[in-house]
Amino acid sequence: MLEAIQFSSFSEFIHMGGYGFKIWSVYGLFAIFIAANLLLPMRKRKQILREQKRRLTINDEISRNI
Amino acid sequence: MTIEQSTIKQTTMAAAFIATLKRDLLISFKKKNDVVNPFMFFVIVVSLFPIGISPDSDRLSEIAAGVIWISVLLASMLSMDNLYRSDYEDGSLEQLLLSPHPLFFMVLAKNLSHWLVSGLPVVLISPLLAYMLNLPQAAYFTLICSLLIGTPIMSLVGSIAVALTVGLGSRGLILAVITLPMSVPVLIFGTLSVQASLNNTSPAGYLALMLAMLAVAVSLAPLASATALRISVN
Amino acid sequence: MWLWFSKLGSPKWFYELSGRWLPWLIAAMTIFITVGVIWGLLYLPPDYQQGYTSRILIVHVAVAGTSLAFFPLMAVAGVITMVWRMKLADMVAKMAAPIGAWFSFLTLATGSIWGSISWGTWWEWTDARLVTMLFQLFLLLGVISLRSALEDQDKAAKACALLSIVGLINVVVIKYSVEWWNVLHQVASPVSLSADSPNGPQFWIAIAIMIVAMYLFLSVSLILATRNEILQRERRSQWVQDLVRQS
Repeated sequence: MLEAIQFSSFSEFIHMGGYGFKIWSVYGLFAIFIAANLLLPMRKRKQILREQKRRLTINDEISRNI
Repeated sequence: MTIEQSTIKQTTMAAAFIATLKRDLLISFKKKNDVVNPFMFFVIVVSLFPIGISPDSDRLSEIAAGVIWISVLLASMLSMDNLYRSDYEDGSLEQLLLSPHPLFFMVLAKNLSHWLVSGLPVVLISPLLAYMLNLPQAAYFTLICSLLIGTPIMSLVGSIAVALTVGLGSRGLILAVITLPMSVPVLIFGTLSVQASLNNTSPAGYLALMLAMLAVAVSLAPLASATALRISVN
Repeated sequence: MWLWFSKLGSPKWFYELSGRWLPWLIAAMTIFITVGVIWGLLYLPPDYQQGYTSRILIVHVAVAGTSLAFFPLMAVAGVITMVWRMKLADMVAKMAAPIGAWFSFLTLATGSIWGSISWGTWWEWTDARLVTMLFQLFLLLGVISLRSALEDQDKAAKACALLSIVGLINVVVIKYSVEWWNVLHQVASPVSLSADSPNGPQFWIAIAIMIVAMYLFLSVSLILATRNEILQRERRSQWVQDLVRQS
């Protein structure tokens, strides 16, 4: 398995035949894209739940006082 | 009785089409702005290009067809705004939706009148502007033909976007965002046909393709516009 | 069949089912993305013609292939919205549009980075695929802006459904006309993005893994977003209120 790795050293891995920066930026964009599309909906979900819970408790309070 | 009824219905179908067309044309000519503004806009935009790019006649002749096509596109999009709005505001659009005649033909009549008022004058003036942009003589006929086929397609397709946004207050930009990408195919084939005749090859193939696109647009776009109007007005 | 269909249309049913599926989908997605990325970065042999750029290509092709699914998806959802008035279809269509715009944008970004190595320019009008993708992005932005401009939810649902159907036809027509336009403007034909470059089976396996990974990612992100939309739109229903109380 290990000998199938296409790089002999770590710096060669980073460098990628001179195109290191561009290739790494593609993978960087890819990571941002995946993280954004997973984390933003998750954060929004928490926000929605918090918001609705607050509204529900306010409603409960009001109905109890009446 | 039944025969009478059916004949009445038949005549009123065609009559309704013509009546809608006449009414729209009459309104446009009374308002004058609908006729003059797209035309003026077109002429002004075209005459800005040489100033912005270069007065060099060789370079201008290279871009002439594209400049005219894009200016036509913008002028048609700008004039689109009036297509259903005044009718929507004074309530006559609702009357149109309630009428017993198929909305398809009413929409087609409105699109036809829009094209006659804002598309046709622009096509007719285009040879003059093509001359000012130093377009080679060989391409004039193709340019006019392609514009004659292309502008009604733009009216028909643009009508869908206008119908979708008819109830919105400020919609100039949203109309552009929806309509402009849709007109890419027309733009491509319009300029390709002119390029073809510049290269001394036959533009007939492109014009035939545009005719096919026009046929599809005439049969499908009013359907989409009618659906869009029913969605927007209820 | 009809029972199943109407059940599927119920947001509650979808919420519960997707809740059960989500962990598996996320696990599968994580595995595929990890394997694909590690394979691409470590094990993919440099192509003798394109060198290390095939590492960009596996990401680019997978994202591009997936972003082609959005207009068909939205158009099908649009037909369901218009014909059966299914609320769920509209929620999916609404959430798909921004994700599709993300996908299209990433396709353009990775494509132009690849182009800057292989073609020597960041943007090439002679590549039909990139140009088509650009206009697909514009059309998607049009759908999104129409959605945000219309305040009435029901109206927005139907209007966007219609625009998605028209948009699908348009994307197809644009694709063919741009290809045509391109054949005629072929100046110095750049290296094609497609299969004609001689890449080994290694490359194609890596691409296949990445494509599966991207489709899994598409479903996960779409399901997550749709669940949020359900919580918001169904906030007055009893089951959502119970769910909120428990959280």
